[in-house]
Amino acid sequence: METNDDIRRELEEQHEARLQRFRILVCIDGDDECYRGLKYALRMGGTRADCDIILLYVRPIDQGLASGGLQVRVARENLLNWGIELPGIRYLKKGLSMLIEDDSDWVSETAHSDVQGDPLGDNKIEYRHPSGRTIVLKLKTAPDAASGILDQYELGPYNLIIVGSGSSGRSRLMSALAPSTAEKIALHAPCSVFVARELVAGHGHLVCVDGTPKAMDAAKEEAIIAARFPDPKLSAICVAPDDSMVAEAEGIVGTLDKALKDELNFDLKATYVRVGDPVEQIVEAGKDYSAIVLGGSTKSTLQRMVSSSIPLDVVRKAPNSVMIIR
Amino acid sequence: MSINGISPKVLTQHIGAVGVRTGIRRFVNIGRQLNFYYFWEKRWFFIALLVGAALLNMDTPESLSREGLIVLTMSVVATILFVTEPVPLPTVALMIVVGQVLLLGLESTAVAKSLMTDSVLFIMGSLMLAVAVVKQKLDKRIAWLIVRMTGTKTSNICFGISAVSGILASFVGEHTVAAMMLPVGITLITLTSDDPKKVRNLAAVLLFSISYGCSVAGIGTPSGGARNAIMIGYWKEFFYDPGNPDTYKFLIDYVTWMAYAYPMFLLQLPLVTVILLVTFRPEYRDLRRAVVKLRTEVEVQGPLKPSDWVAILIFALILAGWITISADIGMGTIAIIGAIGFLVAGLVRWEDVNSGVNWGVVLLYGAAISLGVQMKNTGAAEWVASNFMSLLTPMGMDHGIGLWAAVSVLTTAVTNTMSNGAAVAVLGPIVLKLATVAGESPIILGFITAVSSAFAYLTVVGTPACTIVYASGYLKTTDFLKVGWKMCIMSIIVMLTAAYLYWPLIGN
Repeated sequence: METNDDIRRELEEQHEARLQRFRILVCIDGDDECYRGLKYALRMGGTRADCDIILLYVRPIDQGLASGGLQVRVARENLLNWGIELPGIRYLKKGLSMLIEDDSDWVSETAHSDVQGDPLGDNKIEYRHPSGRTIVLKLKTAPDAASGILDQYELGPYNLIIVGSGSSGRSRLMSALAPSTAEKIALHAPCSVFVARELVAGHGHLVCVDGTPKAMDAAKEEAIIAARFPDPKLSAICVAPDDSMVAEAEGIVGTLDKALKDELNFDLKATYVRVGDPVEQIVEAGKDYSAIVLGGSTKSTLQRMVSSSIPLDVVRKAPNSVMIIR
Repeated sequence: MSINGISPKVLTQHIGAVGVRTGIRRFVNIGRQLNFYYFWEKRWFFIALLVGAALLNMDTPESLSREGLIVLTMSVVATILFVTEPVPLPTVALMIVVGQVLLLGLESTAVAKSLMTDSVLFIMGSLMLAVAVVKQKLDKRIAWLIVRMTGTKTSNICFGISAVSGILASFVGEHTVAAMMLPVGITLITLTSDDPKKVRNLAAVLLFSISYGCSVAGIGTPSGGARNAIMIGYWKEFFYDPGNPDTYKFLIDYVTWMAYAYPMFLLQLPLVTVILLVTFRPEYRDLRRAVVKLRTEVEVQGPLKPSDWVAILIFALILAGWITISADIGMGTIAIIGAIGFLVAGLVRWEDVNSGVNWGVVLLYGAAISLGVQMKNTGAAEWVASNFMSLLTPMGMDHGIGLWAAVSVLTTAVTNTMSNGAAVAVLGPIVLKLATVAGESPIILGFITAVSSAFAYLTVVGTPACTIVYASGYLKTTDFLKVGWKMCIMSIIVMLTAAYLYWPLIGN
């Protein structure tokens, strides 16, 4: 019989193995935006052998009070009795059909754990391809979507979380009072987050740098991700607070351009310098790109909550997609 | 490679990558676990506690007793928690119990006793009946009955669904019927087209026909929803005095309630269909294909079985009991007898009842009513009422239809932010005292509050039927806003008309 140590070792090995792979968590909520995000994940080299895609649907646990004391599970069981699929499954299947066209090569494995208060519980189907690619469909219950997604991060480290967001232009007060799921993820996730919004592929990314080593690292990280695309297009921008700083800003983008060329053999498409308020300028300059890319702020979670941070302000204001690199 | 039959892969899901750390790394990990996400998610809980502490340390207003201030503080904290839901709501119920003992200094047994009343028993019994009714699987037959009466035209089917859902919901509770009819709506949608985009408006019309049909019906009888029972309980607690025959009119029984509220439901029914068809223009005007397929499904089931007849009989007896003898033995008792009937006849398993009823709701309403009664006993309700009154007087809304409209709008606003039972439990004591202060009939203002609490058409969590229908995944939250405001205005107008023209006729 196996000992606890064996299991521990095996789990550790699995954890290590996962660190070697490019794992993308795509949050599915049935909206068009999340499927556009999924297609984007595919472009991001999702069909390569080193890439795993995890589709996650989070079903909120109902506390039964909004439904007047009759558990929503009674209604769900009734739906199942009629042979009707519950919404999460339908959405995940649609996502799967976008990823797998011919399923003859794939081997699937199913896991299930019961959850009190829900007839379906937590479910997971794992599809493995001989090449090593894995696609996981995961149906999870959690108090709300954001906690479910963040919980999921604890289970397997991911390189990127893709989440759709319908709203833009929210005020800081609104998002402090009632943060949207995408905002919560952008604030709390320990890994990179891609907030998909009106996502149009093929227009390239705009990466923002401010001269800090952290932003520089993020830009390099982004170059590695951009290189995964079939036609990598990456531009860089640096915003100077006033005219006297323009020369310095030009120096920063220049350094980045050179560093990418030397270290990664990656060519930037263009570099820009703008003057003014960083958030406004970034949003304005980035609106014609597929996505605006920023390094995560250096502040701690607590500091991020109480003060503003440029990445989160951009997430709130930008009309298009935003990626935060962590 | 497994322990106790659990493969390591499954274990990984449970333990996660975090669980594999050993030695000193385990302690480092605790730091990582202490994330701010917890505090962030629960921020409203701490804000509510701070507000409570601030209120308790305030100087007691002149005309309010110390106990009154404490109860008022508890109500404010509970209201914040009801609206923001940082903790599971039954926790709030437990906090109310503890607060009454620790802050008000009441005796623990006395508080425990105040949790259970006939109203709470009625809510509990009705919920058990709801599960029993859903489990009878009569939904396909009801669906077939609807389409046989209405034909295949979309507009007729919508009206049929609203009408039948409504009539059933007015007796067995809106959540019950919503749970039963949801598969009917979805089946009609999926049989019409597999692509949800092609039937978006049709889906909205059919599903809202169910939820709004149920919502407008929930006011029809006391068994339509928990809030009705709560209001009945308040009337009795606040005004009934066994020694004074003049107060006997405050014992509202099943039939009296129906006399007040049922006509309003019937009046709203056709308006629901009109509003829905105007707001969402369905893509298909005729559902012949879906109806034919539905018919074959029903025919497979064969005729009604003896057990189905027994279920129908038991329910008919419960209804007869509510109408005829509930004034003597209590509506709660009859609901409980009904639940016993279903269990004894073996029509529902206790396990199903146990997992289908959210017992936290029973606890919550028990605690909320108990707090409401303390609002009265300590004079807090009266204090809030007279202050609210001095606010309304300059606007000329301190009497008559102005006051009614103010109460209705206030209740509609509150009920859209929290479950409607909670809204009535919180507002009930204040409104009833308001009626006393203004010299208005507590019965009319009570009805306005209980009925307005059903106007939560704007949000998913507003009414039970909306929540259940939303679980189908076919509707968006914005759909509720799109049609909800029209429904709110329609309902408020219908109710004020009834209050002005019709209710005075029965009152005398």
